[in-house]
Amino acid sequence: MSVDSLQTLANVGKGESTRTTLRVVILFLIAGAAIASRLFSVIRFESIIHEFDPWFNFRATKYLVANGFYNFWDWFDDRTWHPLGRVTGGTLYPGLMVTSGIIYHALRTLTIPVDIRNICVLLAPAFSGLTAFAAYLLTNEMTPSSSAGLLAAVFMGIAPGYISRSVAGSYDNEAIAIFLLVFTFYLWIKALKQGSMLWGALCALFYGYMVASWGGYAFITCLLPLHAFVLICMGRYSTRLYVAYTTWYALGTLASMQIPFVGFLPVKTSEHMPALGIFGFLQLLAFLDYVRSAIPKGQYQTFLWLFAGGTFGIGLAALVVATSAGIIAPWGGRFYSLWDTSYAKIHIPIIASVSEHQPTAWPAFFFDLNMLIWLLPAGVYLCFQQLADEHVFIVVYALFGSYFAGVMVRLMLTLTPVVCVAAAIAISNVLDTYLSAKSPKPEDRLSDEATDAAVKKAPKGGLKSTSKPFVGVYSIFSKGAVVGAMTIYLLLFVLHCTWVTSNAYSSPSVVLASRLADGSQHIIDDYREAYQWLRQNTRDDAKIMSWWDYGYQIGGMADRPTLVDNNTWNNTHIATVGKAMSSREEVSYPIMRQHEVDYVLVVFGGLLGYSGDDINKFLWMVRIAEGIWPEEVSERAFFTPRGEYRVDDEASDTMKNSLMYKMSYYNYNTLFPPGQAQDRVRGTRLPEVGPTLDVLDEAFTSENWIIRIYKVKDLDNVGRDHASASAFDRGIKKKKATKKRGPRVLRVD
Amino acid sequence: MRSLLSFFALVWAVAVSAISTTGDRLLVVLDDVADQSSYSKFLGDLTSSSPCPLSVLRYWPYRGFKLSFETPKSESLSLFHLGERAYDHVILFPSKSKGLGPNLTANLLLQFINANGNILLTLSSGSSTPSSIVSLLAELDIQLPADRTGLVVDHFNYDAASAADQHDVLLLPAPHSIRPDIKDFFGAGAGSDEVLVFPRGVGATLGSGELLMPIVRAPRTAYSYNPKEQGEVVDDLFAAGEQLALAAAFQARNSARFALVGSAELLEDAWFDAEVKTTSGQAAKTFNREFAKRLSGWAFQEIGVLRVNWIEHHLNEVGASNESNPGIYRIKNDVTYTISLSEWSWSSWSTFKVPANDGLQLEFSMLSPFHRLDLALDPSHSTAEAAAYTASFKLPDQHGIFNFKINYKRPFFTNVEEKNTVSVRHMAHDEWPRSYVISGAWPWITGIGATVAAWLAFCALWIYSAPVDQKKKGAKKL
Repeated sequence: MSVDSLQTLANVGKGESTRTTLRVVILFLIAGAAIASRLFSVIRFESIIHEFDPWFNFRATKYLVANGFYNFWDWFDDRTWHPLGRVTGGTLYPGLMVTSGIIYHALRTLTIPVDIRNICVLLAPAFSGLTAFAAYLLTNEMTPSSSAGLLAAVFMGIAPGYISRSVAGSYDNEAIAIFLLVFTFYLWIKALKQGSMLWGALCALFYGYMVASWGGYAFITCLLPLHAFVLICMGRYSTRLYVAYTTWYALGTLASMQIPFVGFLPVKTSEHMPALGIFGFLQLLAFLDYVRSAIPKGQYQTFLWLFAGGTFGIGLAALVVATSAGIIAPWGGRFYSLWDTSYAKIHIPIIASVSEHQPTAWPAFFFDLNMLIWLLPAGVYLCFQQLADEHVFIVVYALFGSYFAGVMVRLMLTLTPVVCVAAAIAISNVLDTYLSAKSPKPEDRLSDEATDAAVKKAPKGGLKSTSKPFVGVYSIFSKGAVVGAMTIYLLLFVLHCTWVTSNAYSSPSVVLASRLADGSQHIIDDYREAYQWLRQNTRDDAKIMSWWDYGYQIGGMADRPTLVDNNTWNNTHIATVGKAMSSREEVSYPIMRQHEVDYVLVVFGGLLGYSGDDINKFLWMVRIAEGIWPEEVSERAFFTPRGEYRVDDEASDTMKNSLMYKMSYYNYNTLFPPGQAQDRVRGTRLPEVGPTLDVLDEAFTSENWIIRIYKVKDLDNVGRDHASASAFDRGIKKKKATKKRGPRVLRVD
Repeated sequence: MRSLLSFFALVWAVAVSAISTTGDRLLVVLDDVADQSSYSKFLGDLTSSSPCPLSVLRYWPYRGFKLSFETPKSESLSLFHLGERAYDHVILFPSKSKGLGPNLTANLLLQFINANGNILLTLSSGSSTPSSIVSLLAELDIQLPADRTGLVVDHFNYDAASAADQHDVLLLPAPHSIRPDIKDFFGAGAGSDEVLVFPRGVGATLGSGELLMPIVRAPRTAYSYNPKEQGEVVDDLFAAGEQLALAAAFQARNSARFALVGSAELLEDAWFDAEVKTTSGQAAKTFNREFAKRLSGWAFQEIGVLRVNWIEHHLNEVGASNESNPGIYRIKNDVTYTISLSEWSWSSWSTFKVPANDGLQLEFSMLSPFHRLDLALDPSHSTAEAAAYTASFKLPDQHGIFNFKINYKRPFFTNVEEKNTVSVRHMAHDEWPRSYVISGAWPWITGIGATVAAWLAFCALWIYSAPVDQKKKGAKKL
């Protein structure tokens, strides 16, 4: 880590070792703050895995720790996606689990017996400390002021945009991926600046780690070529770029192809083609560079044009042919939805149904980044002023990142690092200017400029505006005002971050917290109650059908096979579940029999007013099922003639007869006086007569009715259909065979 | 395996004392307990502990049912005791009353069937059928004539000796199986001169469900009418010909059995050794006693009971472990599946032989069958008591959770529905053939080798070539 000769220059006469010590201490404190602010959830609740995906990662980690790496690598999971199973080892990003596994075994070797759960819970906060450090390194590459690096580290440590995915218990890929992202960028800048193969190889190594950890690696795969391309277009092609890029691309691609889930994607899919294209382009440039030095200038021009045109034509033709021949996969659906935000809604409901794939609402930027978001343009502007190769990177990254963050909520995460870096550059610039106690004297001006000119060799290729006129701040008052304002902003930022972390991002969502009238906390623990019930009362291989949102939790907490889960790899299978949920009992029953379903689990928030329940998600089930069976399931039929989505008396018959409706409201009116049944989510009064269920038996309903579990009945022992069997049980006698019209039905033996 | 065998030996030892496979507690429900005297031979056969005196040719062993007699309205009558079945089997004789009282409601009888109890129901044209029986039959998809009365007559096949005018004592040939692929349980071995007498009985029509099967169908010329209302003209025919089932079998999914006999009189002593005369004037012996025995034997799980002794599947590959019933296979593994089946016939387990026109099939399925294979008899694993059926096949090239499924449901045999779940995994990363084994990979391997060699050569050249003297070079260029 070269803290730059510039830095040394700036600090002449001051104790360098003191500063280094101070920096180390500050970085440690930042890491401590980053970790501490992520522990709200552990302190408020307990050391528990959060939400949905982390439960799968946790389960996979346990499998890895229990069965070893090779079994994990070849893991065929027969407890999800029943009966298809999932080639889990080949369809996950193993980086996270392997990291935890290594930590676990390392601690065991050191005879520190730590529960794997605690490692998983605390992995994200631990890595956030590293991310802060990586942000420090990256920022230091951008500016000679080391205070910028420290500020970036602080921002990175507590920015809610990053905390949202890395609180304790949020054991998701992003937990380590953001660190890897920032660190890979740092190594890339380093390699680019020095033209060093070593740094390039290190960058490739961490890129490989990133690929192993998160699907978002494509962001790097696209951003680095883009950076290189912009540099080339700016006429900044250099051997440094050539060495850094080719080293990174060749080694990084090989590394990424080692991950089974990625496999041959880097040479097959369109998302990876820019990287390959720039790689080829750089080879051409290098070749041209060589040719230019070898032949006279006039010939070179002709040669250049012919060569460039020819290569471009051939390359484009090859790309078109390969794409149309299916050798290179066309852009995927998720990719299209990045350009056209309504694409997914129309074509791929399964992607649109995920809330984190929705376009970002503008308050989210302020919520997640607070003042950093308006400091971003300032930081980018300052980068323009210097505009060395690395500053181009920040500019490109900021543009690229903010576009994608605007398109998809969860890509806010990839924007956060550049925002932190840019904001840190801006703030440190302001502070450096206004914090210097001594006022510049006019006679210093010349010497200052002289030093500046001597120091800054870089802006040779920069913009004209970089030759800035010398201005100084002379008044103590203006210094004090600006510094004071900045300090207040920073303090407010810390307050905001803490508030957001504490209130918005620290809920495990497995356990719900509410406040009682006296202000004390009341825990609603229906999820775990229900999963525990499943774990203790059902056969070990009882198949649970639920909407896919709860698949990972059932697998992780109840340890029972599920039909579909949050790894939404098979849209048809999900649509099958959607069809079973949205059809009449007679239609659903054969589907459930075929899939060997033993229990059906639904989430119902009507009693508590818990709005994330299945009735509110129901239309997605209908839409996804309709995508596969348009003749059998129709979204329109679930609305009233006036187009309203209702659950009360006026609900459409299709709605009232759907299995989901029946399961949600079965026996619900017995809680209320006759005719008073109330749904507190939809805010409506329910029909006086509740639904009947023939093919299911109510098996379990949790304390607050959030989770309801039904057992699928076996076929009737004497061969009747379920409706008539339960009618008989209710004491309704079969009507005597009335005089049949038409021909007799004869038995044929 | 050995423990399994010894376990079944134990089961067998228990079974010897009770010849029915499901128990020996038999409840006989009669309007008047004194009526049992008219069924003494039939009931005697059920309790018999010695060879039946009349059928010298056929040795009938001990059946040993313990009979309890109750009247429908009796307060002590209860099919269940503390939630468990109080009896294993029930015979219901016709009752004069309109209902059977609170202890024999249709619901209770259905519960009895659901709890694996067997019922033999007899009807009679002389008395109307109780309402609980009618609604029970309706649940089983068996229809009786309207107003609960009906009489089956046949003007071509009647007993000329006893019903020359009424034509209501039908003479039927011994009831052989109605389809060639069904084992002949009820008419096998009957002499050509033996006829089944069906006196003054009720015929029922059966729904088309597969759980129902007629045992005795009326002749093509028979029909059912109501003697009270349709004495003059049969304006609304209930059913006629072979649609009329005179005796029918119903086997629930849990293999509980329900047998229906249209004529309780058929079981009376009087018809067991009566001499009858066909319309053509020939005298004939009755087959009734034999039929009653076989019918009750079937209903009370003494014949046609199949048992799965063991199921075994394993890898059928050279050098593979011979672990039995592993939980996981790999795609395209060769596997062997074997199932051992026994059939209970009156007093002992014997090898189950699949009827000639029938086949025992194995399905290997996930959502839908990927394989449906005929199982072949495997003599090496068969014993005197158990027949082993086996099939070897290659697993499909599809990973997932599969079931080895045997779904053998045939009329009169208890259901065999066996499902063994196995996972079929994908190829592990080290199970693919190595690259040098694949001839198509050789050009690429050569390419790699060439690149490596060229790189090494280049390095060597680079290292050992002396640096060009800059001045000389410049001079040359000029």
